[in-house]
Amino acid sequence: MLKCKHVTEKADALVDGSALSRRERLALRLHLMMCQNCRRYVRQLRALLGFLPRKEEPLEDARTEAILKKLDPSQDR
Amino acid sequence: MPDTHPEDLQFIERLRQGDRAAFGQLVKTHHNMLLATARTLLNPADAEEAVQDAWIAAHRAIAKFEGRSQLRTWLTRIVINQAKMMLRKRGREIQFDPTDDPDALAHRFHNDGHWQQPPQHWELSSPDNLLTREELRHCMEKHLHFMPDSQRLVLELRDLQGLPAEDVCNMLELSASNVRVLLHRARARLFEMVDHFQETGEC
Repeated sequence: MLKCKHVTEKADALVDGSALSRRERLALRLHLMMCQNCRRYVRQLRALLGFLPRKEEPLEDARTEAILKKLDPSQDR
Repeated sequence: MPDTHPEDLQFIERLRQGDRAAFGQLVKTHHNMLLATARTLLNPADAEEAVQDAWIAAHRAIAKFEGRSQLRTWLTRIVINQAKMMLRKRGREIQFDPTDDPDALAHRFHNDGHWQQPPQHWELSSPDNLLTREELRHCMEKHLHFMPDSQRLVLELRDLQGLPAEDVCNMLELSASNVRVLLHRARARLFEMVDHFQETGEC
């Protein structure tokens, strides 16, 4: 039987949807069915990761231009 | 997270030919993300410099880009190398041994592996969602700052930028299991922080 401590260690793969063997996945599901604390852990971990700030804004044109200028000074205009 | 960038063969070909506009688009799309990566290891001024140097290195090497990895992965690797060089200049190095730092959740379990201190119930429904609170955001920043460099870097690449685990292993020259442990340790620290905040209202 999987221990709670191991569930928290395997929870990363579970929330990432990454490779777990069928056996591991089954053992996790079984444990989560019975253990409210681990269910809470997994649910809240998922929520936490969903709220991490992401930085995807493109760079402003002026700063892009400034970087390009430093690449090859001969291209300065 | 999908690459927002039109990474088709035609675009790569333009880059390889030295097309200035194409390179400009590359900078525009990826710069802020690369800067975020550099900042996990360096102070803001050094990070700016490392990324500028990385662009110079990328510009020199782009003609030889073979398209075996995504451009984003290729660029991130260059930035990490620049950042490591900068760290070395400052007499620092990133410590990648994951056993250096204990699992932040370890103390919550009995010896038999069952919960001794189970997680608190987090208030996650709007408008009182714990995770959207300003104080929690500040607290998270603080914890990120004190996290070991290796954990912060892996968390940034995997969870904030959504890079594939395999790419992160290659970039950092770490085994899959080390990356897994570092990511787990980083997440455990954040979980512990939020749980403590839920319980006490304090950082």
